[in-house]
Amino acid sequence: MVGLSEGEKHFIRGGIAQDIRTDGRKRLQFRALSVETGVIPQANGSARVRLGATEIIASVKAELGKPSILHPDKGKVSIFVDCSPTAEPTFEAPFQDVLIPGRGSEELSTELAVALQRCLLGGKSGAGAAIDLSSLIVVDGKVCWDLYIDGLVVSSDGNLLDALAAAIKVALSDTGIPKVNVSLSAANDEEPEVDVSDEEFLQFDTSRLDPSVIFDMISVAKHVSQQFIGVLDSEIAAAEAEADE
Amino acid sequence: MEYVNPLTGFRVDGRRPNEMRQLKAEVGVVARADGSALFEMGNTRVIAAVYGPREIQNKGQQVNNKEALVRCEYRMAEFSTGDRRRKPKGDRRSTEISLVIRQTMEASILKDLMPCSQIDIFVQVLQADGGTRSACINAATLALADAGIPMRDIVTSCSAGYLCSTPLLDLNYVEDSAGGPDVTVGILAKMDKVTLLQMDAKLPMDTFESVMGLAIEGCKAIATYIREVLLENTKRLECQRG
Repeated sequence: MVGLSEGEKHFIRGGIAQDIRTDGRKRLQFRALSVETGVIPQANGSARVRLGATEIIASVKAELGKPSILHPDKGKVSIFVDCSPTAEPTFEAPFQDVLIPGRGSEELSTELAVALQRCLLGGKSGAGAAIDLSSLIVVDGKVCWDLYIDGLVVSSDGNLLDALAAAIKVALSDTGIPKVNVSLSAANDEEPEVDVSDEEFLQFDTSRLDPSVIFDMISVAKHVSQQFIGVLDSEIAAAEAEADE
Repeated sequence: MEYVNPLTGFRVDGRRPNEMRQLKAEVGVVARADGSALFEMGNTRVIAAVYGPREIQNKGQQVNNKEALVRCEYRMAEFSTGDRRRKPKGDRRSTEISLVIRQTMEASILKDLMPCSQIDIFVQVLQADGGTRSACINAATLALADAGIPMRDIVTSCSAGYLCSTPLLDLNYVEDSAGGPDVTVGILAKMDKVTLLQMDAKLPMDTFESVMGLAIEGCKAIATYIREVLLENTKRLECQRG
């Protein structure tokens, strides 16, 4: 990875101060966003999002599982992020016997996955969650839907969190949960028979998923960095003034 | 199960025994990579990205400092197969396929023109429907060409099998998991040399020759297509340069 020289850093900061970034955008301008659904036919829902040169593919798979004992009336959702080495050569998996300078993508993947989990599933008690987990229950305490959301970073050109969040939101809105018929004749402690329909699908309810919540998180970071840049500029100016004296 | 219908001669997906799946290729899909390509063979979709030639990151891996070091990593996305996979990297099959792709491409890359450097080939499988190995090699060839890395020839690969007493070209997942023999061939297209030959299960020698011949024909057809794609891409670049 080639670093930035002092001259280049000064150039970039100067541009920001005049509301011009190196690719010609304004400070508060997003790159062109393009979205495509249904890219993975064998998944229940999928999406591919391109934010400039950053490309993310998200897929949602629904499988039947058992709800946790603490929340017998809620389904389960797990989010995984995989940074493909095609995006960045440092994302390559380190070999077992040789030490390689890049740590691989484990840390970054985990960090992104945890951030997205907090966003979509809320805190520990489930407060502030964007997804309604009770809509995923089939039989209380026995059978529920497990949603596995996988995000794959194909190409990385900055702002992975935004693109991942958008991809997951679109993939969820594209998700069809198969209709289930539960046979009521099963005894109380037996596993009920669940017949998963191949034909009918119910659209997953994403009306509570508010993308502005996620975008706000990113906007704050930008404002902070603007303030930071502003502080830096004034400090540089102050230092130069002192030097002149 | 009937893999080849005795009355019509069609396979499970409606193809004839010597028919390949639909090919689609696109060059330059990953902006940050030096070279990249997307290759589709039917429902199998693969992205290859090449980073290099660049400075060697780890001197310990360098065996011969008069030639370039070629590295390859094969990864499958968790959603690529029907059932969701756990641990898409680091398992034995991925390590084996990484090695196979590396050896196949090494035979074609002119390594002594780039001493003391490394070339990384990363292949990511987005959708797996049989023949991922071949799709990866074809995608890697396109990506290397896009990166401008000097090669002896275009490397193409195709698989063929033998079910219901018929040699079948380009097996998909259903046919592959039937348990019959699966021959994967990789060739240098114009030079007519074989760089990769792998087979699962057993075949009598004369049947093997016909199956391998079929696979080589498939490889040559793919080479024609790849040449077209590269020509289109070069024309487009030429127009952009003005």
